[in-house]
Amino acid sequence: MTDVIRTEALVKRYGRRRGLDGLDLAVSPGEIYGFLGPNGAGKTTTIRILLDLIRPTSGSAAILGEAPRRGGTPLRRRLGYLPGDFTALGGQSARELLRHLGALRGGVPDARIEALADRLDLDLGTRLRSLSKGNRQKVGVVQAFMHQPELLILDEPTSGLDPIIQQRFLELVREARDAGQTVFMSSHVLSEVQQCADRVGIVRDGRMVAVEDVAALRARSVRRVEIAFDEPVPADAFAAVPGLADVRVDGARLRATLTGRADPLVKAAARYGVETLTMDEPDLEELFLVHYGREADDAR
Amino acid sequence: MPGSVLTKTLRDQRRALLGWVIGITAVGILYAAFYPVINVPGTADFMESFPPGIMEAMGFADFMSPAGYLGSTTYGLLGPVLVVVMAAWAGGAAIAGEEESGRLDLTLAHPVSRWSVLVQRFLVLVVQMLVVMAVLTGALLLISGPAELGDIGAANMVAASLHLAGLGIVFGALGLAAGAVTGRRSVAYATVAIVGVATFFANNLGPSVDWLAWTRDISPFHYYSGGTPLANGIQPLDLLVLGLASVVLVVLGGLVFDRRDIAV
Repeated sequence: MTDVIRTEALVKRYGRRRGLDGLDLAVSPGEIYGFLGPNGAGKTTTIRILLDLIRPTSGSAAILGEAPRRGGTPLRRRLGYLPGDFTALGGQSARELLRHLGALRGGVPDARIEALADRLDLDLGTRLRSLSKGNRQKVGVVQAFMHQPELLILDEPTSGLDPIIQQRFLELVREARDAGQTVFMSSHVLSEVQQCADRVGIVRDGRMVAVEDVAALRARSVRRVEIAFDEPVPADAFAAVPGLADVRVDGARLRATLTGRADPLVKAAARYGVETLTMDEPDLEELFLVHYGREADDAR
Repeated sequence: MPGSVLTKTLRDQRRALLGWVIGITAVGILYAAFYPVINVPGTADFMESFPPGIMEAMGFADFMSPAGYLGSTTYGLLGPVLVVVMAAWAGGAAIAGEEESGRLDLTLAHPVSRWSVLVQRFLVLVVQMLVVMAVLTGALLLISGPAELGDIGAANMVAASLHLAGLGIVFGALGLAAGAVTGRRSVAYATVAIVGVATFFANNLGPSVDWLAWTRDISPFHYYSGGTPLANGIQPLDLLVLGLASVVLVVLGGLVFDRRDIAV
């Protein structure tokens, strides 16, 4: 199947400064793609090229099979976009702005706007100028999602959202994917996207330095495990468990690190009475940074 | 929906427009209301004591007839000045102001072309100029009896206002074009201010300096007041020149705007 977003050797220069330095990007249909990198790496530049707000110096870009400029208005009808700095000021209410933006797209039912606002805890009657940064960001999220576009391009979507709303936002993203929409979201923190992204691409200094499958990364990742048993257990009962390392047994308590699937460990532990079992969410960030540092060095 | 940008912009700017309506109408009326005070024996002699060069430079013509008075005051100096200042504001806000605030990104990411945004913003400016002029004309007609300006006639008053709207639209188009090319409001304001002052004096002074005489022909002020619409009614050719110049400016601005990068 053709890529929903594809760029080849994309270069953008601002005077002598390089915004993008030959960026290759491929986003498949129906996936959630996390576009990761530090500030100034070229994430926003890439996104603005995709939306035809700026034009590349060289290289090619295509979304939904068309060049952004040639695709023009009909192409943008199929997109939803959340700008990195969602500015909408003035005395108008959130509802008024959303209706206007909906009208630019040929009309969006009020019920759809209400439903999204409800889920994000956004009061549509409030004037934009008196909204907090987080609430303004919610308006931005609503306008990007409200017309159920084929492709969502979200620039730092979670910035300013509190943790509960972030979770609800990630639910919206997953639902969009389940409905067949493709989601391309940028972030400078992996933890924001690792929960829902299928793949993650790392950009640095205007180049793609790594593309990873999040599930594969998770499989490779190392978790800390701690099991409290009803009674003391022998340490050698766990010596042969695949993926388990650094095993320390202290009476009825086992501490270890686990790589890959948890199944062999669970089966081994099930022979004894288990009081509690805790397993850390893998720190992908750390794993990524290791990887990322190496790739970046290779690229030099 | 076609026209969404136009109606939304008009709505967003309705307070600012109200300000311009009140300001320009108030100044126009105050000036006009003074006519009975000026229109007394003695003023003519006083005015004649000024060197004709100065009178011309300031755009003062015959002060004594109603049309001459109004043409030298409301429609002669402060009216056009205020209208050009309003044009700078409207032209600068159209694209550059929107871009500097970061809101243009969002609009252009929607299924609306840059040309469409540009043209709708220009139409906003046209509507705003016509609204201001309609209110000003209405107010002047209301007070024309007590202010002893009744001789001018409604048709000529409307004609003069229409020409003044044309002047405002040309300068608005200039500011819009400058803002569309550069994305900077300050450039739009400066362009309108510089061209405004230069062409104002080119119209009034040009004829008195031989080698500058040609500059009158490229001054919007010439096509605004050269045919004295307040006395002679609408000058279709002059209005046509103002209209065509506006369209050319918008198109030139659009050609660059359509190609360049939108600033963050």
